[in-house]
Amino acid sequence: MLIQADMGIQDKLRILSDAAKYDVSCSSSGVARKGKKGGLGNTLAAGICHSFAADGRCISLLKILYTNQCIFDCKYCINRRSNDVVRTAFTPDEVCTLTVEFYRRNYIEGLFLSSGILHSPDYTMNLIYQTLFQLRRRHHFNGYIHVKAIPGADPGLVEQVGYLADRMSVNLELPTADGLRVLAPGKTREKILKPMRQVQRGIAAQNLRWLEDGRRQRPAREIGMADSVNHPGRSLWNQDQAVGRTFVPAGQSTQMIVGATPESDYQMIQVAEALYQKFDLKRVFYSAFVRVNEDSLLPVLPGGPPLLREHRLYQADWLLRFYGFEAKELLSEKRPNFNVLLDPKCDWALRHMELFPVEVNQADYGTLLRVPGIGVKSARRILAARRSSALDFPALKKLGVVLKRAMYFITCSGRMMYSMPMNENFITSQLVGVEHKKAWDIENHDSYRQLSLFDDYHMTAAVSGEDSMSVVTGSL
Amino acid sequence: MTIFVCKESVDDIFCGIYDAWMSRLGHKNVRLELTGGDSELFCEYREVVGDPQKAGKVADSIRKKLGETVYETVYEALLSWERGRADIVYRFLIHAFAVGPGILDRLQIPAVYELFRLARYVSRERHHYVEFVHFAEMEGGILIGKIEPKNDVVTLVAPHFSDRMPEENWILYDCRRKKAVVCQAGRGWVVVFADSQEWQARLEQATDERQFTRLWKTFHKSVAIEARTNYRCQRNMLPLRFRPMMVEFSPDSQ
Repeated sequence: MLIQADMGIQDKLRILSDAAKYDVSCSSSGVARKGKKGGLGNTLAAGICHSFAADGRCISLLKILYTNQCIFDCKYCINRRSNDVVRTAFTPDEVCTLTVEFYRRNYIEGLFLSSGILHSPDYTMNLIYQTLFQLRRRHHFNGYIHVKAIPGADPGLVEQVGYLADRMSVNLELPTADGLRVLAPGKTREKILKPMRQVQRGIAAQNLRWLEDGRRQRPAREIGMADSVNHPGRSLWNQDQAVGRTFVPAGQSTQMIVGATPESDYQMIQVAEALYQKFDLKRVFYSAFVRVNEDSLLPVLPGGPPLLREHRLYQADWLLRFYGFEAKELLSEKRPNFNVLLDPKCDWALRHMELFPVEVNQADYGTLLRVPGIGVKSARRILAARRSSALDFPALKKLGVVLKRAMYFITCSGRMMYSMPMNENFITSQLVGVEHKKAWDIENHDSYRQLSLFDDYHMTAAVSGEDSMSVVTGSL
Repeated sequence: MTIFVCKESVDDIFCGIYDAWMSRLGHKNVRLELTGGDSELFCEYREVVGDPQKAGKVADSIRKKLGETVYETVYEALLSWERGRADIVYRFLIHAFAVGPGILDRLQIPAVYELFRLARYVSRERHHYVEFVHFAEMEGGILIGKIEPKNDVVTLVAPHFSDRMPEENWILYDCRRKKAVVCQAGRGWVVVFADSQEWQARLEQATDERQFTRLWKTFHKSVAIEARTNYRCQRNMLPLRFRPMMVEFSPDSQ
């Protein structure tokens, strides 16, 4: 292993951001915190993107590894022990300088610090703790920090880090224990779930304390030392608790790799659903597998990363979190994978034509949300707007309803938009046409479509007089 | 038709609304326009004279009768770059004062939708600049960020940074309107019209940002996954018009 300690910060940044990029999460959302005097930074609940990389992904956080040295040998990972790549590590000072100076220039919303496992999980977690401590205490950095909980690290350390960070995450990486055994021999499912459970319990215990204190919602400001005097029980907490820092205020997230192991979409969303329900996760991210290592255990994907599959999983994930769907409604053992041609919501609606059409002026919120083409925002606007007068189709368009999908499933005051058959085959063919171009764009971004003689490109022009003549005369 | 011609500022448009409303000519017979537009035949043109008292009256009655949310939405709409904004707000207010604070829910009314559309466009652009404005450090540690917004959003962007960086001195400069927000650490921010030569010289002052520009470019490049390269998606999320001001898209200097 080549370890270069005396490398310049420029090279370190190049190597350690390159090594961190396969982690998809870059969101800075989940916590709203005002700026404070003497500090630098605030956070917005929705998060902020500050740039977009060439792959179209948002750049919100300074996403780096502390070090790319690692004792593990996970097959899919570029930093695995057996890879011959240049290894290096930041110092806490370097990470702080980069974060603060980038933040002042509004390049980033905060820090995303992950790391390879150097020596031992405890040792690595401690390095991360030292860095965050400096950043929060010496530099008074008040922006967003997302940090990895290292599986196998001492729970005490994980807790201390939790009081300095906004979001913590532990990557599940592979949805089933079998996949993990094959591709990540150093990790077990229990080891990964343990810190996740710990963070969940920490957040739950904190919510309970606030509830007992009679504050349903925590005030945005940081509470001062006075509070710990008024609540003698708190003297048992560590220093971070005493100054009123919140434990992982933006919750935790995880990521799963899509397409490295043979799990079906159904298994993936069932795991995601379980994580949302049993571990109170804020987000599950999906990462289309990119083959960075040559290894006989890894699949070869000639079409590149499975981007459309990843896209469908995200769509389904939204349906689970915001639209009141359950995994078993979307897929089943018999149909374990998503339809390539249709998004999961259209697909579901077409299998449940008995529930449609829905009368927009009467249906309740939950029913509206299940209509393809109506989202959370437009459903809320419909509820607000129809209180004053009945809505028609042009009004729906203004409220943000996507009529090219919704029109097959709704009526306004008893009428459909056009007279058409309420027939599954007809609607499917219409919707597939709409969706086809989108799906194709995702799979083949920025390339050109191969022309073929027999595809219909909708380039038909009206037959002119000249054409009819040429048919008769036989000349071209 | 009587046309009330007002200047472009929010206060002047409020005065125009006051004059048009109080002229008692009937809403159908009046229209608001901004100065510098084409004139039309068979119309009577009346120049609106700015009067802080009239503007204050309009603002107050919107706040009192319709609430802060409606006032903020109207204010945002008035910062739009669309020349029809004065009349759009006037038409909206006719409905708004008849309905009350719930007016913004009624997007099915065309006049309400028009106002909503303007305000949405302005607040989206505001958010884009909160995202994409990058600062550079000048002599004395002053941060300078330059923007070129279509709508007049510089005063909407400023509060975000004044909350975010209370210990920094910074300038946010609107190149298009030659208008700057200047914020001094711990003292709040002010708007300055920066079209004097002195200001221009100051704004053009070289910044020594080579180190952090290079670091940021390195990061921006290495964080992208080659196998997923997707310039179209990048353009959708970060339109080209924002890029001239962003260091990561500036050509390499070596």
